[in-house]
Amino acid sequence: MSLASAVQAAPGVYEGVANVIAAVMLLIEFGMLRQALARDQIRLYMAQSALISVLAVVIAADRNLPDLYALAGLSAALKVVAVPLVMRRLLGRIDPDIQDEAPGVAGSQTLSPASAVLAGIVLAAFGFFCFGSLKLHGFAGGLGGNNGAPALALALAAAMVLVSFGLMIVRRDVASQAIGFFSLENAISLAALVVASGLPLILETAFLFDLLVAVVVFGMLIRTHHARAESLSTADLTRLRG
Amino acid sequence: MSVALPVPVIQLLQVLTVALGAPGVTGVIAKVEARLQGRRGPRVLQPYYDLAKLFRKEALAPEGASWFFLAAPVIAVAAYLTIPLLIPVLTTYGLPLGYMGDILGGGFLLSLASFVVAAAALETGDPYAQMGSSRAKTFSAIAEPVVLFVVFTVALLTGTDLPYALAATVRSSAGQVIRPAHLLASAALFMVILHETGRIPVETHTGTNEFGMIEEARAFEHSGPFFALLKWGSELKQLILYTILADVFLAPWGLASTRQLGAVILAIVALLAKACAVGCVVAVIDDSFAKLRLFKITEYVSAAFLIAVLGVFTLYLGGG
Repeated sequence: MSLASAVQAAPGVYEGVANVIAAVMLLIEFGMLRQALARDQIRLYMAQSALISVLAVVIAADRNLPDLYALAGLSAALKVVAVPLVMRRLLGRIDPDIQDEAPGVAGSQTLSPASAVLAGIVLAAFGFFCFGSLKLHGFAGGLGGNNGAPALALALAAAMVLVSFGLMIVRRDVASQAIGFFSLENAISLAALVVASGLPLILETAFLFDLLVAVVVFGMLIRTHHARAESLSTADLTRLRG
Repeated sequence: MSVALPVPVIQLLQVLTVALGAPGVTGVIAKVEARLQGRRGPRVLQPYYDLAKLFRKEALAPEGASWFFLAAPVIAVAAYLTIPLLIPVLTTYGLPLGYMGDILGGGFLLSLASFVVAAAALETGDPYAQMGSSRAKTFSAIAEPVVLFVVFTVALLTGTDLPYALAATVRSSAGQVIRPAHLLASAALFMVILHETGRIPVETHTGTNEFGMIEEARAFEHSGPFFALLKWGSELKQLILYTILADVFLAPWGLASTRQLGAVILAIVALLAKACAVGCVVAVIDDSFAKLRLFKITEYVSAAFLIAVLGVFTLYLGGG
């Protein structure tokens, strides 16, 4: 009896590592979806950003693209250190009495964690199968040539985009929505890295500066909203006020 | 040592290794767990002494319980001892009886054993035993989809659902080990194993706190040799699940590929070492996390379900 006859061919080790990193990033996205406290969400965001920097290094080594090393360093400095620091300072300054947690973040879920995860699975499946039907197998410019690896990592990135949208929808507080938006940027960076890793460094850096703009905007939003509503919850924004 | 063992002897050795090694693995986990807590802990051989003591004691049954109450532990242990025939415990090649059931066959035997124990608990009329079996059935029902998706992953990877085929696939190249589908399925299976063996995020293994009891409460009314069989059964189940995790998913290396005596002995040592390594990880998890509240277990299972489903998704697109 030959056991190995029907075995699916495995992608190479580099592609495997890249796909595993993409899959773990998606899992972290789900972690943010069910995490109740803003400080844990920031921690998960740091982990996710660290992973995308690692992925940039992996792709740089695999495809011999030295400027990706610079991008990895830059994105690590910005997303693992700077953005979480700014978010923590922002949330800490809002309420100096409560060091740990800003008001209105905990308990802002509209779904229970288990239902949120199930809804997230549905969203991720939608993203997956949409990109799966694009038939990107054999995408020559992508990671690893024509063995279908870019299709997988790209579909994972699409799933991440949808799940982070879901995160912003099911959470009713500004801090989680900001984190959801930042991780959305992570998902797009992942897609960019996998599909167009040869993009000029200046363009990739421009994406990172987009993130800085988003941080400033969300910072303003958090402070303004807190000044008006004494809480980060957006629950009381449902009624229009004159 | 170039003595070639006959195949039936190797098959028997698979069962004996699991049967005699299981209490030892439990002992090692208890010892490691105690050392991590700064206690000296029981002897590694303590589970054997416990079993020997219980086998010498008198057996009692509650009034009104039928013959099934006493038959259940025997049926459960018989089911557990059948599973080592179906999975790669010592050899890389399938033994003659190895193909009489696939992964689902093993799963049926595990469910049969847990069903008869739950049914016997219903015979007793003891509220705690009944509550325990009711909870065990509820939570194993919600964990079942995870197991199914892990089996789907195996089926997509190998085109079969034979545990031997998956082990051979994993051994075939480094790319098979690192692919996300394999890692995700292994992670989901590990979470299910923590759940099924009553370890910490789900249940306190050693506690006697009735509020959180699931599996442990079912044996409340059994005594003497029958209680010993139930204890031995849960140790067997633990080692069988660890064997599936180690020899099929995570590390199918060190198995005997020939019938030589030396290779088979090496495989026995390797299996017990791998099971103890998994046990050490479990002990660390036991000591680092708090038990989940009963109604939070759904969240734990939903996380495992997510991981298993993602494994199947990644394979669907061909690249995983």
